[in-house]
Amino acid sequence: MNRIKVLLENLRRGVVTEQYPFKPIRVPERLRGKPVIDPDKCAGCGACVNACPPNALTMRDDKHSSMRFIVLFIGRCIYCGKCEEACPFGAIRLTREFELAAENREDLYQVVGLRLYHCPLCGEPFTTVRLIKRVVEALPEEQRAAATLCPRCRESVTAHYRSYARR
Amino acid sequence: MRSSGINQVRPRNKYELMIDLRRFGEPRLRGKYLFLSRIKSGRLRDLVDYLHWRLGGYYSTSIGVDERPLDGYFHVYHVFVLEEYGVYVLVDLIADPGHPVVESITPVVPAANWAEREIMDFIGVKFRGHPEPHRLILPDDWPENVYPLRKDYPYDDKLPTSDKIAKLVRESSPATWEPEAPGDHTVIPVGPYHPALHEPEYFELFVEGEKIVDARYKGFMVHRGIEKIAESRLSYNQVSFIAERICGICGFTHSTAYCQAVEEAAGIDVPERAEYIRSILLEIERIHSHFLWMGVAFHLLGYDTGFMIMWRLRESIMDLAEELTGSRKMYGANIVGGIRDKWDIRDDKAALIKRMLDEIREEYLKYIPKIISLEEIKKRTRGVGVLSRSDARKYSVLGPHARASGIKTDVRKYRPYAAYKYVNVEIPVLDDGDIYARMIVRHEEILASIDLIHRLLDNIPKTPLHADTSYIPERRHGIGCTEAPRGEDLHFVITGRDNKLYRWRPRAPTYNNLLSVPAMLRGEYLADAPIIIASIDPCFSCTDHVVVVDLRSGRRRPLRTRGVVGGR
Amino acid sequence: MKLYRRSLWVFHLNSGSCNGCDIEILNALAPRQDAERLGVKLVGSPRHADAILFTGPVTREALPSVVRAIQAVPEPKIVLAVGACACGGGIWHDSYCVLGGIQGLYRVLKSMGVAPPKTIYVPGCPPKPEAIIHGIMLARGLAGQRQARSEYFEEQGPAVKAEEDLHRLFHKCFPGRLPPKTARVEWGVTRY
Repeated sequence: MNRIKVLLENLRRGVVTEQYPFKPIRVPERLRGKPVIDPDKCAGCGACVNACPPNALTMRDDKHSSMRFIVLFIGRCIYCGKCEEACPFGAIRLTREFELAAENREDLYQVVGLRLYHCPLCGEPFTTVRLIKRVVEALPEEQRAAATLCPRCRESVTAHYRSYARR
Repeated sequence: MRSSGINQVRPRNKYELMIDLRRFGEPRLRGKYLFLSRIKSGRLRDLVDYLHWRLGGYYSTSIGVDERPLDGYFHVYHVFVLEEYGVYVLVDLIADPGHPVVESITPVVPAANWAEREIMDFIGVKFRGHPEPHRLILPDDWPENVYPLRKDYPYDDKLPTSDKIAKLVRESSPATWEPEAPGDHTVIPVGPYHPALHEPEYFELFVEGEKIVDARYKGFMVHRGIEKIAESRLSYNQVSFIAERICGICGFTHSTAYCQAVEEAAGIDVPERAEYIRSILLEIERIHSHFLWMGVAFHLLGYDTGFMIMWRLRESIMDLAEELTGSRKMYGANIVGGIRDKWDIRDDKAALIKRMLDEIREEYLKYIPKIISLEEIKKRTRGVGVLSRSDARKYSVLGPHARASGIKTDVRKYRPYAAYKYVNVEIPVLDDGDIYARMIVRHEEILASIDLIHRLLDNIPKTPLHADTSYIPERRHGIGCTEAPRGEDLHFVITGRDNKLYRWRPRAPTYNNLLSVPAMLRGEYLADAPIIIASIDPCFSCTDHVVVVDLRSGRRRPLRTRGVVGGR
Repeated sequence: MKLYRRSLWVFHLNSGSCNGCDIEILNALAPRQDAERLGVKLVGSPRHADAILFTGPVTREALPSVVRAIQAVPEPKIVLAVGACACGGGIWHDSYCVLGGIQGLYRVLKSMGVAPPKTIYVPGCPPKPEAIIHGIMLARGLAGQRQARSEYFEEQGPAVKAEEDLHRLFHKCFPGRLPPKTARVEWGVTRY
């Protein structure tokens, strides 16, 4: 008897199957899908690379072409959203896109290449031009010049001038 | 082995317990943790006997830690849970790096067998008097004297090279496969790839006609080196994501247990709102896990209509989780000290949860009472795979499995964590111990969980979502316990420097529950074997990162190279 | 591709995954998504399969069985790497006992002289059942690929100019009188 009741209940319920590949599905507003880097906003600071648990985001400095590459491999991404939280410029965010299948592994990469900035004193590349430019713009006038140095040269320069002040 | 302290008065509280334990070593009480170090020589087994068999506590797990960079020794911690006293007793043994040998406790507490072997594999500490001191966890071709959890071993080492692997694959051709049967019984191998199993596992059933005489289990196909990665590459807040990926079904409970362990160690008070949200998500996870189990159980019982119905109902729960957290499985909400900002449950979401849960309950109650009263379901589950109360105690099974055998155990009620401190948790307990009882327990738990979420949502307080975690002191021990859908889930951590863990060890509930499987299988029909194995709701990926289980105290057999490919 | 246009029988091969992807695969066959209406059938033996739904980062322990199962699938075969672990090794990509997803497995196959089969990558952790169905449709050539490699390289001209501007700013504020390059200081301590 119960068997028939279950059957009737099922009949009453009707069709539950989605028409998915032929009709789009409803995607929840919070869905954590494909992360996308906005290359115009990205300054190449590497905060996302530090935050990424599976190392889906990697960073490589190429001294020959003096470029920094931020590489996002979606194939390894776990969609935790740590990068989104970490990015100070809002350059990386998770979209609601979930149809990520690809025939070629290469299609799963996003590459952002930014020009490296060289320290005016020692000449070593240490970060991107874009980041230093943004930092300098955000600082008050009197601190701007010191921000153009690499951390090590900045230390020695500020120490040098502090010693002048002490004399 | 009986303890010498027969005339001792039973200690009444944890302070008396501490004084009492001075007979065995040097106790040190720190909050919930009673460390017992410098065990007097020859007294270890007496101590373990006293804790496990007399004081009403139970052996939980053992952890090996390479503390050579800190104090020059290997440490082995045996963790005992003494619910009555509200303490965890950590028996701290030290092993000299030159001659790393400590006394084994397996002769007294058989449950320590695999944990000790795991330590032998990973840390290289030997156990004197262990009944089967063989390698179990690492692959057979793993070189001797390479211990991955030692601090001087790099986490991303690749051993051996791919040529050697290719050779290994060639050598282990299925043609050489030949199972050894105890006595004259027929052996039925199941796995590692088999239609009935969705994870690579290997079972051997020994049958006489249609009756099962014995069973063996060899797993460890899913060892991924979680502990080492967490200690080497990830920071505190990143580990909660790898903890979530221990298991794709009960991941959130693992990440909660991990976060609780670090919070315990660092003395962080989690804001109440975060505790409520954690509890709500944990209950949602429990409902989806039980739905999944029910579906699989009906499928294995041959009632595929039930499977389809349960998986359809489960979709609504998955939708709810996706609505709340943005992912169907990996909620990603936990960080040490609370919940991430975006995962807040505001009033609109609370209303949505309530509405959806009411719909789910209504739909669920239309089907399930009818399905579980079906004659074919009853006939195949009643009196099948019985685990008596005494057997359940012996194997110290956990979770719904224990509750179906008449044991009142639930971390949520007896050692409340998160928001279970503020609400009353009802736990269904049945005495029958058969598969039907396990089904009913889970059925009741689904309904209880739905009620619980309603009550939690009504009382959710307005506090911040996470505490300040800028300072996490070094070398603190912490234990985090949660009630996973399958039972008690225990995480042990030692904090380290540079925003990294020094040691982390999760212990999943299936680890304990799997022990009871041969007891349930013996004397049953072969056709019932799948549902009996599934009735504990086994989750091998949870279990496997820690240990391999050899159900019989059999000889060492290189099973890995002998498995058959499904459908052979 | 033509070969796969009709019903695709799949064998599910778990090489040590966390179960997340495996259950999403089952979900794709459950009533809501019901991949069987698209001719996708889960089979119990690799010998019956056209395609492999491959999950997990390939653990060392599971490797021999995985290689044998892949070899057991008759040619021509197609592999769908489902989930972050299979596509790129996931969170354990560099662990000591993991080969790092399907690429690591293909390295082993190559060293054995076996050509890697055609592969479709389905990222996600775990991918939604709909994403798996999309992957299957892509394998059958019935759906289009939505992903493409995106590359951005900053224009050198303006960047070099901006760098020069910044250098000029520095030299304007610190004309001459620069400390020797070798001067080293420790944080917070000035030593002279």
